[in-house]
Amino acid sequence: MNQTLLIAFPKGRLGDELVPLLAGTPLALDAAALKSRVLRIPTATPGVAALLLKGADLPRYVAAGVASLGIVGSDTLDEMDMDLLELADLGFGACRLSLCAKAGVSLDDLRAKPHLRLATKFPKATEAWLAREDLTAELVPLSSSAELAPLLGLADAIVDLVQTGGTLKAHGLVETAILGRSSARLVAARGAYLSEPGRIRPLADMLLGALKAKR
Amino acid sequence: MAVRTPHFPDLLFNSAARLRRWEGALMGHFAAHGYRELHPSLVLRETVPEGALRFFDGDDLVALRWDFTVALAGLLTRTFPAPPDRVAYAGAVFRRPVQPWEAVERFEVGCERIQPEGEPAAEADVELARLLMAVPGLLGLKSAILHLGNAALVRRPLEAEGLFGELADAVVAALSRRAPHRVREALDGHPSAARLTAHAEALLSELDGPGTLGALAASPYATLLEEEMHHMDRALQALLPILPPNLELRVDLADVAGLGFYTGPTLRLWAPGAQQELAAGGRYDRLFPGLGRPWQAAGFCVRLSRLLDLAVTRPDLFEEPR
Repeated sequence: MNQTLLIAFPKGRLGDELVPLLAGTPLALDAAALKSRVLRIPTATPGVAALLLKGADLPRYVAAGVASLGIVGSDTLDEMDMDLLELADLGFGACRLSLCAKAGVSLDDLRAKPHLRLATKFPKATEAWLAREDLTAELVPLSSSAELAPLLGLADAIVDLVQTGGTLKAHGLVETAILGRSSARLVAARGAYLSEPGRIRPLADMLLGALKAKR
Repeated sequence: MAVRTPHFPDLLFNSAARLRRWEGALMGHFAAHGYRELHPSLVLRETVPEGALRFFDGDDLVALRWDFTVALAGLLTRTFPAPPDRVAYAGAVFRRPVQPWEAVERFEVGCERIQPEGEPAAEADVELARLLMAVPGLLGLKSAILHLGNAALVRRPLEAEGLFGELADAVVAALSRRAPHRVREALDGHPSAARLTAHAEALLSELDGPGTLGALAASPYATLLEEEMHHMDRALQALLPILPPNLELRVDLADVAGLGFYTGPTLRLWAPGAQQELAAGGRYDRLFPGLGRPWQAAGFCVRLSRLLDLAVTRPDLFEEPR
C-alpha cells in the first residue's frame, strides 16, 4: 500500500487564501510543482502530499478515503451532505450565502412575485431557506457566473456566496437577505480517522498548527 | 473503494467461497455460545420504511427484508409468548443505499440477545462484546479495532434539556461529523447552547483506550451520566484482560450513529484503513416495547458485503486462508 498521506486542498478562492497561509510551514506546497500543471503536489513534510481539487469534487475524494484530510467551504459541505467528519472551523474564507437582486428590488418585491425564479448553485440551502420563509420558487440551476442571471432575465434573483460584495456591485446587484454563512472547514475521512487515529490525528494537528501559526 | 454496478452483486468463485466460509464460521461461533438460528422470510408484508425495496404481489404492496433486527422482532413477537434469549441470523438484506457506491443487496450475519424487561442487562452487553471480539480472528483479519460507545451519552443530555425534533437532530448530526462548532451553530440562542457545546467538546476530546472515559468528567452532564460511565468502566474491566492479540479496544464517547434506534452501549468493529465499519450493534431497548412486548434487547451485525469488498481491495489486511 502507498503510505503517502494525501490532503485535499481546494483550488479557486479558498485555495488562493490557503496557499500563502501554508508558506513556511511543514505543509508548505512545493513552489515548482505549484507552478506546473501537476495536481499532486509534494509538501515540505516527506510522506505528505496535497491534491489540488475543485471544491465540488473534494468531499468525494475525502469521503472515499483517497485523501485522509481536506479543506473545503462549509457551503459545499452543506450542499453535498457527504459522510465526512468536520474536525474544525478554520475561520478563513468567510463569506455569506445571500439572496441578491437588482438594486431597487426588495425582499418584499420578490415575495410578492407569483412565480419567483431564483438562480443558484446552492439548491439545497436555497430550498431550506424557502421552506423556512414559507415561499415557493422555481430554482434555476447554474454552476457559475450567477450574477448575470437577473441582469439578463434568466431569474429574478440569485442565491450566491458574497465575500466583499465587489462582484455584486460591479453587476448592479445588492444583498436582500442573508441565508447563511460559510468558512473553510477541515474535513476527514470517517473511516481513516476512526480506524487509524494515530496516523490521521497528528496530520490534522500539524495542519491546524500550521494555520494557527500564520494567522 | 470498490464500486458495484449494478447494486445487486453477483459473487464470483472466490467471493462466493469466502462468503460461504465466513457465514459458516460466524454462525458456528454463535451456535457454540447458545445462539440459535432464525430465518425470517425474505418478503415483508408489514409497513416498511423509506429505503426498502417495495413491489406489488398481486394487490399487496410488500417489501424485501431490509433489516434483520426488525424482521426478527416481527417474527418473535408474532410467534413467541416469551423471548428466545439468544438468536442468530445469516442472509441478505435489501436497502436503498445512502452512498452511491453501496450495494442494495447486502450480506449480513448477526446475533441478538433478548431478555424480559427488568433483567440485568450489563452481563448481556459484555457477552455480546466478547462474541464480537472473536469475529476478526474468525474472518482472518490481521488486526482490528473495537469501539465501545454508549448512545445514552448523547440521548440523556438532550432529553434533560428538553431538546427533541429538528434541533436535537441537528445536534446529533453535528456530533456525527465530530464538529463541536456545528453544535454551537445549531444551538445558537438556545439556553442549553453553552452546556451542550461543552458536552460535545468533552465527548470529542479523546478517541483512545480506557483513559478516554476520564474526558467525561469535564462535561456539565458528568453527574447525570454517572451510571453510563460506570457501565462502560465495568465493561472495560471485563473485556481488557481477555482482549485477543491484534485487537485494540477503544472508547468512542461520540458514537451517535443509529441514535434513533440505540438506547445504551454500542459496539463498532473497524480494521485499520477500512473506510467503513465492518460490524456494528448495540442495545435497543425500545424496539420490543414498541411492538407490545416488555422485552429488552441488544445485538450486532457483521457486514459481510463490506468485508468481501475489503478482501478484494485490501487483501493485505487479511491472513492467507488456511
